[in-house]
Amino acid sequence: MTARARPTSPHLQIYRWTITMAMSIFHRATGIANYAGMAFLAIWLVAAASGQDALNVVNVIYGSWLGQVILFGFSWSLVHHMLGGLRHFVWDSAAMMEAGQREAMAWATIIGSVVITLLIWIVFVWVG
Amino acid sequence: MRETVISQATIANPKSHYGNAPASTRHFITQRVTGGFNVLFLGLLLYVVVALAGQDRSDMVALLGNAFVGLPLAALICIAAVHMRNGMRDVFEDYFAGRMYSLAMMLNTLFCLIVALAAAGALVKLVFWG
Repeated sequence: MTARARPTSPHLQIYRWTITMAMSIFHRATGIANYAGMAFLAIWLVAAASGQDALNVVNVIYGSWLGQVILFGFSWSLVHHMLGGLRHFVWDSAAMMEAGQREAMAWATIIGSVVITLLIWIVFVWVG
Repeated sequence: MRETVISQATIANPKSHYGNAPASTRHFITQRVTGGFNVLFLGLLLYVVVALAGQDRSDMVALLGNAFVGLPLAALICIAAVHMRNGMRDVFEDYFAGRMYSLAMMLNTLFCLIVALAAAGALVKLVFWG
């Protein structure tokens, strides 16, 4: 347990944005989003366990346009956080830490997460 | 209650045994191990959601009621909940301290417990009672 407050950094606005900094912030933000999103999964499973009526309500909400937008965002958030985590596994072996390498891996994280998420939705939802 | 003031010298001196020595390493290892399992979790979740999104209860019982699908999914959700709690701790450590931190961590533990127990409980129900 921390015994006293940690020093907080100045507000984000004073920094020049770099891709590695952005991906660090994205990793934390998507982690928090996944944290909240897991409640949606729990609600769906509990509804399925409790009965068809409850499941119908959840299916209508999750199938609405707002529900689909949120689930699309949740799926991207999960994929992005996974790629960010895999990036940490690479760094744990002390690889890809040089200038240029880390920026390349940061770009790969954001481009990869968008491409993978779109592929999932195109293949399994919009076309499949 | 007033916080005890901890000087930089107290932290720097090994004799003061400031902080819990193995806690950070344990946190680091736990987060990596559970994170590795989460890759499996996302794969299984993708399979389950693609197969069952918008489907009726009977279809969900047919797939999730299979012990080889429902029970691994329940276990992976519990592992993910540990990862969630650990990760949120990293956030809270940056912004809260003292009793506020304890309160935040208590709510964090409560949320992760509820999500894991509800989701895993629902899956166990589907597997054993349909």
